[in-house]
Amino acid sequence: MSRRSAYVVSEGFTRVSEHWEKSILDLAVEAARKALRGAPGLAPQQVFVGNMFSSSGASQEHMGALVASALGLEGVPAFKVESACSSGGSAFNVAYSLVRSGAIDSALVVGVEKMRDLEPEAVSQALAMAESAEYTQFVGATFAALNGLLARYYMERMDVSRDELSALPVIDHANAVTAEHAQFRRAITAEIVARSGMVADPLRLFDCAPVGDGAAAVVLASDSGAAHAKKAKMAEVLGGRVSTARFSVYEREDMLDFAATRTAFREAMKQAGLSSPKVSFVELHDAFSVVGALSLEAMGFSKKGMGAKDAKAGKYGMKSGLPVNTFGGLKARGHPVGATGVYQIAEACLQLTDQAGQNQVEGAEYGVTQNVGGVDTTSAVHVLGRAE
Amino acid sequence: MAIQYWRIRDRYYRLVGSRCAKCGSEYFPPVYRCRKCGSEDVRDAEMPKTGRILTYTVLHEPMPGFEAQAPFPLALVKLENNATVLTQIVDSPEDSVKTGAKVRATLRRVRVDGDSGQIVYGYKFVVVS
Repeated sequence: MSRRSAYVVSEGFTRVSEHWEKSILDLAVEAARKALRGAPGLAPQQVFVGNMFSSSGASQEHMGALVASALGLEGVPAFKVESACSSGGSAFNVAYSLVRSGAIDSALVVGVEKMRDLEPEAVSQALAMAESAEYTQFVGATFAALNGLLARYYMERMDVSRDELSALPVIDHANAVTAEHAQFRRAITAEIVARSGMVADPLRLFDCAPVGDGAAAVVLASDSGAAHAKKAKMAEVLGGRVSTARFSVYEREDMLDFAATRTAFREAMKQAGLSSPKVSFVELHDAFSVVGALSLEAMGFSKKGMGAKDAKAGKYGMKSGLPVNTFGGLKARGHPVGATGVYQIAEACLQLTDQAGQNQVEGAEYGVTQNVGGVDTTSAVHVLGRAE
Repeated sequence: MAIQYWRIRDRYYRLVGSRCAKCGSEYFPPVYRCRKCGSEDVRDAEMPKTGRILTYTVLHEPMPGFEAQAPFPLALVKLENNATVLTQIVDSPEDSVKTGAKVRATLRRVRVDGDSGQIVYGYKFVVVS
């Protein structure tokens, strides 16, 4: 099968924050307009909206047509793509697959989530819907609880310390200080993580991504679509794959093996024709510190049991050979769940077009984005590079 | 909401999971297809009621309907047939809830359904010393 090239022509996003004055549609339109203005002359042929819980969060379904109509794009096919916290990455992957296959020449992908309108308990309930209603939610286990179980298992099995687990949140916050769109732009220490309130023992507040509102959008185009845009600064999408794993983490033979990420990464890198040492930076799905560590292991950047230890040892800092979460990642840029995967793509594009400002990874050639739904139940991995 | 749980009450009351009619592998939660041999001939089977804690957490920020119980321990229990159950641990001293602890199943009230007032029962586990 012949595959065509696909480019991210432009991106746009809101700051991740408490947007009390803006609705879910306001946020989606704001991000989408910024992206569309960056791609003058290009009319998207399809619209994909990555979103997890507009229904319980904003009493709103039918997000595809709602967003397309608000943008004056009536007539185009428009869909919401949902795969829990990986909804944004999955929406991007569907658009990418269509552009790459030749079915369409351009698409608008918008990721959006409105979380702060809900009471904290209602956010927990909405997020828990990513997991089994009958065997996980039923017993009162939240999403954080599942990750707490996993974190203890990881720490006991792999002899991981509290300080080692804290290393990724510390990196995220350090990188977010200079990221204008980040939710929390202040540095933290391992001591602050270790002293923060208990959520699901051993996971504390600063092990967990915050609750926030936000939207991110990108315009994707084929060669001919991009030609219409007459734009110099683009990133090329070199590979992308979504993979799914056995549904509940406790049904798996090895809970510490993130098989969805492992497969998605391997296949995306194969499509890109790249080997791991070529990767310049990773936008990592660390919704919980333990998830970031296990993701680094699944992608092979760290050996088994070494993800958190390597982070503590300085392997993934901004000045290291492989910076992760260059604008703060899920912990500090923020995690408006259905939007996160699109923020990651937008951030990778900023890096690969030298528009990352103070957060620029010098000489960045290739970036990987990894966006996870559930406890690595769905994983969307993309590989991007500079457009030739 | 309540009908969803009523439908599978045997699973909650008696810990009914699946047994593969072909190779004998057992599962909880139940499966539609045997993960070992691929057979779709899987039948309801009651699980053993004892096992050991594989890992646990104490949940401090609960969902609606569970506020009165928080903080409460949740564990993954490896049953004697190797099936793994996610469950609350009840009636057990705090320091007895640890990895490797022996536990047995018991029946408890899980929640009161907010809309209908229906009381939902199900399995929870107790540490046995």
